[in-house]
Amino acid sequence: MTSQLEAAEPAAQAAGPGDERPTRRGTLQYALSKAGGALFSIAMVIVGTFFVFRLLPGDPVRNLAQGRNMTPEQLDLERHRLGLDKPLIDQFFQFVGDTLRLDLGTSYEYKRPVLDMIGERIGPTLLLAGTGLVIAVSLGIWQGTRAGWRHGSRFDRFSTGASLVLWSVPTFWLGLLLMMVFGVGIGPIPGVLPFRGIESVDAPDGFAYFIDVGSHMVLPCLTLVAVVYAQYLLVMRSSLLEEVSQDYVTVARAKGLRDDEVRRRHAVPNALLPTVTLVFMRIGFVVGGAVTVETIFTWPGLGQLFYEAISVPDFTLMQGTFMLITVAVIVMNTLADVVYRMLDPRVRSA
Amino acid sequence: MRKWFARLAALGVALLVAGQGATAAHAQEPAAGKKVVRIGATQSMDSMNPFLAVRLVSTSIHRWMYGFLTVPDSKTLQPSADLAESWTASDDGLTWTFKIRQAKWSDGQPITAEDAAWTFNKIMTDEAAKTANGPAVENFESVTANGQELTIKLKNPQASMLENPIPIMPKHAWESVTDMANYDAEKYPTVSSGPYFAVEHKKDQYVKLQANPNYWRGKPKVDELQVIFYDNPQAAIAGLKKGDIDLIGRLNPPEFEAIQNDPNIEAWNTQGRRAAYLQINHGATTTDGKPVGDGHPALKDVKVRQALHYAIDKQKLVDEVQNGLAKPADGSIVPPMYQDFFWEATGDEKVTYDPAKANQILDDAGYKKGPDGVRTMPDGKRKLEFRFSIHTDTPIEDKLAEYLTGFFKEIGITLTTKKLESSKFTEETGVTGLFDIAISGWSVNPDPEEVLATHLCSRRPAPGGEGGGTESFFCDDTYEKLYQEQLKELDRPKRAEIIKQMQERLYTQAPVIAIYYTNDLEAYRKDRITSITPIPEDKGLLYGGSGYWPFYTVDVKPVAASGGSGGDGGSNTGLIVGVVGGVVIIALAGFLLSRRRKSVADERE
Repeated sequence: MTSQLEAAEPAAQAAGPGDERPTRRGTLQYALSKAGGALFSIAMVIVGTFFVFRLLPGDPVRNLAQGRNMTPEQLDLERHRLGLDKPLIDQFFQFVGDTLRLDLGTSYEYKRPVLDMIGERIGPTLLLAGTGLVIAVSLGIWQGTRAGWRHGSRFDRFSTGASLVLWSVPTFWLGLLLMMVFGVGIGPIPGVLPFRGIESVDAPDGFAYFIDVGSHMVLPCLTLVAVVYAQYLLVMRSSLLEEVSQDYVTVARAKGLRDDEVRRRHAVPNALLPTVTLVFMRIGFVVGGAVTVETIFTWPGLGQLFYEAISVPDFTLMQGTFMLITVAVIVMNTLADVVYRMLDPRVRSA
Repeated sequence: MRKWFARLAALGVALLVAGQGATAAHAQEPAAGKKVVRIGATQSMDSMNPFLAVRLVSTSIHRWMYGFLTVPDSKTLQPSADLAESWTASDDGLTWTFKIRQAKWSDGQPITAEDAAWTFNKIMTDEAAKTANGPAVENFESVTANGQELTIKLKNPQASMLENPIPIMPKHAWESVTDMANYDAEKYPTVSSGPYFAVEHKKDQYVKLQANPNYWRGKPKVDELQVIFYDNPQAAIAGLKKGDIDLIGRLNPPEFEAIQNDPNIEAWNTQGRRAAYLQINHGATTTDGKPVGDGHPALKDVKVRQALHYAIDKQKLVDEVQNGLAKPADGSIVPPMYQDFFWEATGDEKVTYDPAKANQILDDAGYKKGPDGVRTMPDGKRKLEFRFSIHTDTPIEDKLAEYLTGFFKEIGITLTTKKLESSKFTEETGVTGLFDIAISGWSVNPDPEEVLATHLCSRRPAPGGEGGGTESFFCDDTYEKLYQEQLKELDRPKRAEIIKQMQERLYTQAPVIAIYYTNDLEAYRKDRITSITPIPEDKGLLYGGSGYWPFYTVDVKPVAASGGSGGDGGSNTGLIVGVVGGVVIIALAGFLLSRRRKSVADERE
């Protein structure tokens, strides 16, 4: 996680010499070169995925047999069915071709197309992880701003401390704790929140259905937000701290602006930049879902699917989910670069 | 930028309100008066297609949905009539004739011998259909149908013929399936012959089954059976405590202890189907007798294996590793719940915890202790240092390893633990032979043939070092001969005698050392479930048993007209909390908005 905090830093320091307006062509060129880089990364991911998953210990066909009584003939047949009996180079081109056609193969364990399985899971994941991200970012920025502005105040000490404690708590433990307290209920606290899945087994229709799903989201979202919001808080807090001592802030104060206004109008917009980068980078990870949270709350998302794939192990399913997650991260990182350039004139000229 | 903030905040508040308010409408109550049993499972279904499904949860659910030729009797566990109401075997044991019962599928079509013949022939002729139960038809020469009469011709006699694990499928609904390997069978309602048929399956979430009105024993007492999946056992336990589910099986001792004192929960603790044993690499070989793997040479000596057996304090393992929820094994791989087939060591043969005797055996056999207290091989070349292979992430196996290390230290043997993730574990201990001692275990069916077969020569890996399905790499003439004998013996008591001799052989030769028989640990809500009959009926198993009996006999309190029934008093509390939560959040939002207005006003000044 530290790497993400660090990654946000250099951009903040990239103060250029002047504010030269770039040509529109320059921006386009920049975007294209970034996109080119991203495409190259994606190609490398596809190649890498193929070899990494073939280097993993254990023969997938033997894994499939899982101690069941199978004759070598049956194993060969299975190998043939999965195309594992062809030379590696043929398998490679087959794999690349299939991947480009978006055919991610058939799951070993579930005997269903991986793409279908991913399709079923992506909605719930975006819903949970996306909502979690929005809440965590809002909460982090809000608390970070106030904590940074009144550096050393009781609010600062409390909110920074609390967020760091939650950041250090194991997700699994916190999830179970919340489940026991708000799901099952302890003492006078009634356990009312559902903690399994995305909807009730006898889910109602219409508007009530949205409410049903919403109630199922509360605990997983809470867990997700609690463990991650610290990073937004800390980045926001530290970049605001940097701005506080800047000359333009002093000037704004000297103009006689209220403290509140100096913060909102002058300091925050400048301090927000590193956080924006961080947020964009995290959006990429949203697709990967939150493996632990999804597993605690039986959330039918990609994280849960990835976890299942690893525990079987189901190689095609692992490959598919792995590629999807990496590609999402690459795309969002590229987007972050482009957006950052649009937001911060200093980067354009640097 | 501020607008952006405001929007985010509004969205957050909206979501929170939705979330809080939600508890009010949480889980629409099913129609009043309906009887629903909700079963928790910590495994999701791999496939709805019985030709492909291998996971335990799937085969259990399929047992509630489809009939078999015969099923274990609810009292004696001996084969009893199911879809076949009677049967005869020819004198040579090669031709079996079954009379199929006059009954109906859940869609009203008659069940005929043709359905059974189609099912078996499909598995015999379609490679993909062999996935789940291929070995069960390996010995079938031919299967033919004539009206309600089914004739199965065998290649060799097979006493376990009446415990065929293949569910009979409806030909009229399945014969159009061409690509069995990729058929997910997600078509509802299913055409079933068991007490229930499936009506809905939300993958990795739940399966809903409805009572089959055409079931030949009569419609079950409950209307609906729901199997609800949880990704982790802690959440499932929480679900049971809260009343989201009514029953859960397959618990571990720590999970079981967590629910033991709950006044609304019946903690079910009975003798189980499982034997836990140590698998000892006594010289792993392939079917052509070539050695494979890297087992320690000392373990080839039966004396060393017996010494290990004497050094294990099984009672202590039961008390401290299994928290008392098991029975020390004084027998072999068949647990005592199968009274007919269970063999128990007596007299001189019985190995009891006796480290002095273990030391004596090793001293006499020439394994001298070195200055560091560790024994060496008689030729003095190699120390008796064994590896103990266990799975990663299994606290109970970790604990077991600790105790065994202590026991073996007493007799001058060093044990080091080797943790492996499960696929690697299966490969090293079952195929490549890269182990000395490994943890193992088997859940035994009412007919023990399958577990006995896992110790046959032919189950070792093929010459290429592949395939097989051995539990011990055992290959012993006496054992092989006995196995063939029991196959042909159609007289049950006589066959049981032979099976006992086989267990005795395993006990004395010690390719495996049984350490304990774990209890079947389950739990159900006694404020919901009013009656349930275990299998066998006298203190048997529920979810952990083979067969539909408990779920055919189960009865629950009907769903009350308005919430607040039984243990699930959540609805009213939910409403209150939801309303209060909503009010608080709206008040908070109002406060923030008013502050914001004020500051805007300030700016205008």
